[in-house]
Amino acid sequence: MNTQINSRRSGMTRRQFLAGTGALGALGLSLPALLSACGGGDGGGEASLFFENWPLYIDPTDGATLGSVDRFIEATGVKMTYTEAYNDNNEYFAKIQPLLGAGKSIEPDVIAPTFWLAGRLLALGWLEKLPLDKIPNASNVVSTLQNPTWDPTGEYSLPWQAGMSGIAYNIDVTGRELKSVEDLFDPAFKGKIGMLTEMRDTIGLIMMGLGKDPSTVTSFDDASGAFEKLDKAKSEGQIRAFTGNDYTDDLVSGNFAACVGWSGDVLQLQKDSPHVRFVIPEEGGTSWADVMVIPKGAKNTDSVGKWMNFIYDPVQAAQLSAYVQYVSPVKGVQEELAKIDPDLAANPLMFPDEATSARLRSWATLTETVEAEYDAAFSKITGA
Amino acid sequence: MNTTMLVPTRQRVSRNADRVGLGALIVASTCLVALGADLVSGPLLPVVVLVLVAVVVGLLVLVAIGGPQARRLLAPYGLLQPGILWLALFFLAPVWSLLRISLSTKPSRFSVEYSFSWAFDNYTTAFRDFGKQFQHAFVYAAVATVLTVLIGYPLAYVIAFRGGKYKNILLGLVVIPFFTSYLIRTIAWSTILADRGPMVAILDNVGLVRLFEAFHIMNNGQLLNTPAAVIGGLTYNFLPFMLLPIYVSLEKIDTNLVNAANDLYSSSMRAFRKIVLPLSIPGVFAGTLLTFIPAAGDFVNAQFLGSPNTTMIGNSIQDQFLKQNNYPVASAMATVLMVSIASLVLIYTRLFGTEELA
Repeated sequence: MNTQINSRRSGMTRRQFLAGTGALGALGLSLPALLSACGGGDGGGEASLFFENWPLYIDPTDGATLGSVDRFIEATGVKMTYTEAYNDNNEYFAKIQPLLGAGKSIEPDVIAPTFWLAGRLLALGWLEKLPLDKIPNASNVVSTLQNPTWDPTGEYSLPWQAGMSGIAYNIDVTGRELKSVEDLFDPAFKGKIGMLTEMRDTIGLIMMGLGKDPSTVTSFDDASGAFEKLDKAKSEGQIRAFTGNDYTDDLVSGNFAACVGWSGDVLQLQKDSPHVRFVIPEEGGTSWADVMVIPKGAKNTDSVGKWMNFIYDPVQAAQLSAYVQYVSPVKGVQEELAKIDPDLAANPLMFPDEATSARLRSWATLTETVEAEYDAAFSKITGA
Repeated sequence: MNTTMLVPTRQRVSRNADRVGLGALIVASTCLVALGADLVSGPLLPVVVLVLVAVVVGLLVLVAIGGPQARRLLAPYGLLQPGILWLALFFLAPVWSLLRISLSTKPSRFSVEYSFSWAFDNYTTAFRDFGKQFQHAFVYAAVATVLTVLIGYPLAYVIAFRGGKYKNILLGLVVIPFFTSYLIRTIAWSTILADRGPMVAILDNVGLVRLFEAFHIMNNGQLLNTPAAVIGGLTYNFLPFMLLPIYVSLEKIDTNLVNAANDLYSSSMRAFRKIVLPLSIPGVFAGTLLTFIPAAGDFVNAQFLGSPNTTMIGNSIQDQFLKQNNYPVASAMATVLMVSIASLVLIYTRLFGTEELA
């Protein structure tokens, strides 16, 4: 009697269990369909815009002073999302490559890769043309940045900001002003030197230090000396870390005595940390531009047009420059900025004069095979 | 009246029910692996999905019409089903993809497709270029594991035998810091150990810097970005994985055994060696596995606390996957790491494994 009850009870549980499993299985099968049905619901409605950019690259809203994004929202009513998830060109490329390569679109409507990566994206056919008819202000782009070799018609890109790579240092730690690329290899700063994971900035600066010109490189051999120098410094423990845009933390805290850095970042940091300095070494530095491009399949190209037109208005661009302190690609900014902050308008790191410009070099466009050699050699040194 | 006709069929079904169950399980998991690893495409895809659904539904139908005997025979397969199907989809299929990509080549530098070509040179590259990183990974993980035993065992011992009514609070104190994100805790250490941070200042004032330098814990006056910092980070982050299993095995021990040993004039030390330690070995064993395996593949500690000369294999794999886009070599490295950890664990289990865990 007892055993019978037991077996019946266990039979029940088993049946319930199996039924439950079946129900779970059915749920599992129908869930994706349900989710995709939900996902299709959005879209339409008001205009929106998603800009993914580098950190420290826009003026935030500070109390009553509206930042560029909020001024744009106020002026146009476009619902704009601005994120700072862009820390490193290679890392970002690796993130978007599987999607764009498979013909899918990525979330942002506009991104600001460095010129060489924009060139690669264009060559791969992963960019949309800009709605130039909606951007009359595009004619304000400074002549030196117009129609670069990798985008000869200028139909795919507009510069966001330009700048220089040089030596950033923390004078509290160094105890002296730095002026030469050799200072990065000074044994006194052993284990306190930072280098960028951005190959062109790090290798470019070392090349300049060795008297080589990155604007004329055609093969790997042109830079092999710089790679050897970097490899040696890394093995000897001279270099503390290879970082992306996050080098700023280590620089301010004093973990880095000096590092390869970007002009505008350091000028911004100086507001709160006057002990941080930037110098274009006497051997010269490199110049670069980050450019706004529309990834293939972006949904809100009209809004991108509105945004570009807005930010290419010298009045708006001047307010942006007053905060980010990079080299503005917009004509007339210097005059507008002089009204806000005359000191900044006279800063050669923001408005390079003839003498400064003459010391800067911009990287030549590398062919795909040569670039692959450079990247492979560089990643071997950075190790991680 | 019908029963006379039904009985033979029922019996036949019942007798073969376990074979049917096993077959269904194998077919269903094969289908899932094929789907998960992207092995089928085009017109074959709906066929595989249909087979999968048919098998699962068929099994349920069999349960419904089969007699109690059939149900009893099918029950183990029903119980195994969720676990096996889960493993098929989320373990076997990814491992299959990993192996496949590790033997593939990319047609061009930025392509997202990989063509399978028995490209064993990916493995050559993995060994040639990343030998040092493999070495770092295993050495750091091993040292960290030993340190977690040295720290975790006494701590677990005190909590288990001397904790009294505070036992749970003490355990809570060990575990509570780990409610914070792994990443945040590690980055916090980089602030604590920074060159101008509190740790270095204290050591400097106490005058221990020279001693630490002699033991290679500090290097050139810095604590952060040294091998010691990476090992320290690993030790800190994996301590609970060592402590908790040891605590559980110590807690189970009947203290009367120790009392009996003392009654028989055994010294405390000897009682510990002969009774407590052997009985707690399963905990230590489980703890070392739980610590060593994830620590060997870790990249967070080396990333935030290490330098370019202390990179572990996890960092290199992450770099190859996420920055260099070199999936074939990255997969080869991941496979090598997986196989070497698996073999180390197997050897370790053979040498030190206990009945309870085997």
